[in-house]
Amino acid sequence: MAVGSFFTSFDLSAFINALILGISIASIWLIAALGLTIIYGAVGVINMAHGEFIMLGAYSSYMLQSFLGLPFLLCVPASFLIVVAVGLILERGLIRYLYKRPLDTLLATFGVSLVLMQGVRLIFGSDPKYLAVPPIFSSNIQFAFVNISVFRVVVLLVTIAVVVALWALFYRTRFGVQVRAVMQDKEMAASFGVNADRVYMLTFALGAGLAGLAGSLFGVLNIVLPTMGAAYVVQAFLVVVVGGGTLAGSVAAGGATGELQSIFAYFTNDTFARFVLFVMIVVFLRIRPQGLFAPSAKRR
Amino acid sequence: MNLYHKVSAQWLAYLVFYAVLAMVPLVVSDNFLLNQLSTYGVFAMLALSVSLCWGFGGILNLGQGIPFGLGAYGMAMTMQMQSQDESNPMPPFMLNNSLDHLPLFWVPFGNTTVGIVLALVVPTLFCAIFGGLMFRARVSGPFFAIMTLAMLSAWYTLILDIQPYTNGVNGITPPAALKLGELVVDPYSPGAYWLVLGLLIAATVVAKLMTLSRFGLVVQSIRNDAERVRFLGYNVAGYETAIYTVSGLFAAVAGCCWVILTQYVSPAQFDTTFSLSIVIWAGIGGRMSLMGAILGAFLIQGAQSYLGDAFLNTWLLILGGFFILVVRFLPKGLIGLVESALGRISIGSKKGGNGVSAPRLYPQPGE
Amino acid sequence: MRADRRAFMKATLGAATVLAAPYGFVKSTNQAWGAQSWIKKGEPIKVGLLFSLTGGLAVPEEDSTLVMQYAIDEINKAGGIAGQPIEPVIVDAKSDFNVYSEKTKELILRNRVVALFGCYTSASRKAILPTVMAQNHLLYYPTCYEGAECTQNTICTGPLANQHSKDLIPFMVQQFGKKVFFVGSNYVWPKESNKNAKVWLQQAGGELLGEEYIPLGSSEFGPVLNKIREAKPNFIFSTVVGASDIAFHKQFKQEGFKVDSMPIASLTTGEIETRAMGNEFGAGHFLSAPYFQGLDNPTNHKFVEGFLKSKYGKNGVTHYNMEETYLSAYVFKYGLEKAIAKVGLEEVTPRAIRDSTGGIKVEDAVSPEGLIWIDDQNFNAWLKPKIGQCQADGSFKIVKASAEHVAPDPYSIYPDLGKCTADGLKAADGKVRKSVI
Repeated sequence: MAVGSFFTSFDLSAFINALILGISIASIWLIAALGLTIIYGAVGVINMAHGEFIMLGAYSSYMLQSFLGLPFLLCVPASFLIVVAVGLILERGLIRYLYKRPLDTLLATFGVSLVLMQGVRLIFGSDPKYLAVPPIFSSNIQFAFVNISVFRVVVLLVTIAVVVALWALFYRTRFGVQVRAVMQDKEMAASFGVNADRVYMLTFALGAGLAGLAGSLFGVLNIVLPTMGAAYVVQAFLVVVVGGGTLAGSVAAGGATGELQSIFAYFTNDTFARFVLFVMIVVFLRIRPQGLFAPSAKRR
Repeated sequence: MNLYHKVSAQWLAYLVFYAVLAMVPLVVSDNFLLNQLSTYGVFAMLALSVSLCWGFGGILNLGQGIPFGLGAYGMAMTMQMQSQDESNPMPPFMLNNSLDHLPLFWVPFGNTTVGIVLALVVPTLFCAIFGGLMFRARVSGPFFAIMTLAMLSAWYTLILDIQPYTNGVNGITPPAALKLGELVVDPYSPGAYWLVLGLLIAATVVAKLMTLSRFGLVVQSIRNDAERVRFLGYNVAGYETAIYTVSGLFAAVAGCCWVILTQYVSPAQFDTTFSLSIVIWAGIGGRMSLMGAILGAFLIQGAQSYLGDAFLNTWLLILGGFFILVVRFLPKGLIGLVESALGRISIGSKKGGNGVSAPRLYPQPGE
Repeated sequence: MRADRRAFMKATLGAATVLAAPYGFVKSTNQAWGAQSWIKKGEPIKVGLLFSLTGGLAVPEEDSTLVMQYAIDEINKAGGIAGQPIEPVIVDAKSDFNVYSEKTKELILRNRVVALFGCYTSASRKAILPTVMAQNHLLYYPTCYEGAECTQNTICTGPLANQHSKDLIPFMVQQFGKKVFFVGSNYVWPKESNKNAKVWLQQAGGELLGEEYIPLGSSEFGPVLNKIREAKPNFIFSTVVGASDIAFHKQFKQEGFKVDSMPIASLTTGEIETRAMGNEFGAGHFLSAPYFQGLDNPTNHKFVEGFLKSKYGKNGVTHYNMEETYLSAYVFKYGLEKAIAKVGLEEVTPRAIRDSTGGIKVEDAVSPEGLIWIDDQNFNAWLKPKIGQCQADGSFKIVKASAEHVAPDPYSIYPDLGKCTADGLKAADGKVRKSVI
């Protein structure tokens, strides 16, 4: 059936729409993966609670909106700050003791994800919540045969803005120099007076906050549920692994996987597209285990 | 010398533990309890396999559900084919999915022996190939963990999608118990219990002997410093693939047993939560100790069955919190407590034996 | 020394196997349960409520547990069954199919409940059916499902795939046009429902433009919506379930689709889903179900009011799935009363209840959706599917109600396989096969 539909339904405008959609899917996966990239790339922690940070972001927006009546556009940065705070607490209370045991951080953060998910369920109940957005976000843009929803454009723009801001932060500020120094060689950086502990703490919190920001956007596209993070976390991991844990790598990997998913889904169906993508990633990593853009410095 | 590291004491502990378990059906006539304990036995086998690969080999495997699930599907297909006959050659779900003949890859499962062999060989082969590919590319540590996770998702998606051949999310439900020749393995009988226990004992003995052997020592040193072992001229990827494959075989055996006990398999066996909970059992019990992992599975599953309803909503909270505490304060798991307790009471030198404390044989200067 | 131990281990292993062989593989020994009665005089009648109270499936299943408890309280207040109260044994299946299977064994073998009420997804039903059948026990499955199953141990009070869309498809074709696009979650029930829908579509003279399935739990509808945009159908027939369904409706609107010109006709998007997605995303779409909270009849008013005021009504809604669960309690009551009258209180077995349930009616005065009865061959319900349109306030307005009861037929699209009878699946050559799942 898959092959049949390929021959019968191929036409250029639909394919171009699929490509444009691919950009949107890529931006969604990328923004989901940005926080993870930073935490893995700079701190070396595989954060299994990343999906739950995304979920916390969505719930923060829900909470701010329904209890304080905050407009949606203010909820997004506010969710960022709330999840930054959660990330800070977590780093100080748990993660910093485990930096020497990278596999154990993976396990500990999995424990954290269980606690966060169940904690949110206890507080908010397991029924889905709803985020209200300005009506303009519930419409689409159309010119010629191209169709795209306004909100997808919003997500794309936010993603671009965040990537640019991160790039500026890492390559144009003193803090960025410190982060990169610690990434390359922690001991050496420390001997030059960089407070590695503080760098780790702030980077972890920033990564968590980015997940929260993504979450408040996903709450609009999707549904606010305690389990919502799981839907994004596998893709986010793959983006990070394919990208090699660097910002540029994640951008490239997110773009490539998102486009491929959209193109495969166009020719076959969503489920099969996912399977093909997973297998391609495994094969890719066999050829290039360090990912697309691995940091040139020594590997952890 | 710490009694905990004494190999003969370890064998004795296994002997006592399994002797007690083997007696259970003689004193208990509660069929539910027997079935439940056998299920725990299956989970213990899984925890054992993860302990072998992760605790001893240092390969964190978040996709142990793959060999388990493949083994389970193989066994379920075998059992399903046992209820088909000449007049009725295809499982009912295939007819609903508009297949008009039995798919080729189902045919061998019509023979029970071939089916069971396939149920064990296919997952083992998969582990050998996948592990071989990954380890030769020197994928290791957290990267390998994430790759197993991705592979798990791929299998989950695939089995869900090829519904005509696997019945999709509903899974395969063999309507009758497994027949081995004239014997019917009633899942509630002491026989099924002893079957699982026997396999668990066999797996434990094999695993234990492996860790004590030269092979086991090399594997453990790879865990501690793969580069150094490579410089010594060992084929690191080969050793890693071997331990990963053996661990996969154990999981496949567990998968087969599980289907015998529950007569059911579905893509849920490929769910990430299930594979992660195997890691939790081994982690809480003590991944560096086979016994610890086995006890961990019994403990956590038992607690879930008997306390889960009492705590209801807080159960996952407690489990997660407990796991965090264990990872943070007891990297060797609960069995680590036993180790330090025995260490305190035992007299003599601090020199470790050649058992689970093998890391001490390789002091790491400058760490 | 070590060699000795090894030899000893081997010996133990061998001994265990030898011991096991003659002992165990025989069919279970415990003859005691045959003699023990399921219901004892003067003791409460125990039933098991096997739903998920935690995890992803808790959203629909917690409501089912609550409404079951409400129904049991109601029955107990009215004097119970044969003068004995019902006692629910409530367990949490944790949205985990392994736990469903374990809890089923526990409820039957340890708690010795006389019947199970439970499951929402077909996958969980399939997980527990081998146990239920092996113990010759009884499962009340109170929701819609795909059919193609013929066991002697289940009673279902929800619509089968052949009943569910029978009115909906012709109605939509008549109102909006011939061209339709099918979207569903990627699993068995949507695929089976769509096969049935195709039959009705053909009869109504409609045209199927495409059929797409989304991975369970997926929230990315971009590719599918693009395909729909290309195909330009008159309406969409949806069997997307759960969280995905909400994402689907939201993205439908966000991508600029208009409900007036291309509405979604769904088999699942009810009162809860609409509330979760926000009314503006649900308004205008259609749902086929045997029950809506807004049904205007005295029994339903009483049910809605009584339930929402009771301690179980905290979620503030009654929807089709809950009503089907509520009905199953009464089907159980009537069936058990009939079985007691036939074989005597202490002699009642789960199977006897099932055999007495054929033809049981739940009258207008009890059933919020109106009269239903249980088919005496396949033990599914005869019912009237209704079509509701979601309003701006999230409630549903009934736009069409079936004039007559629709017969349940689990094998309607597989006539070659046979007909489901009380004793099993009867093939064309007269052979009857039991327990077909």
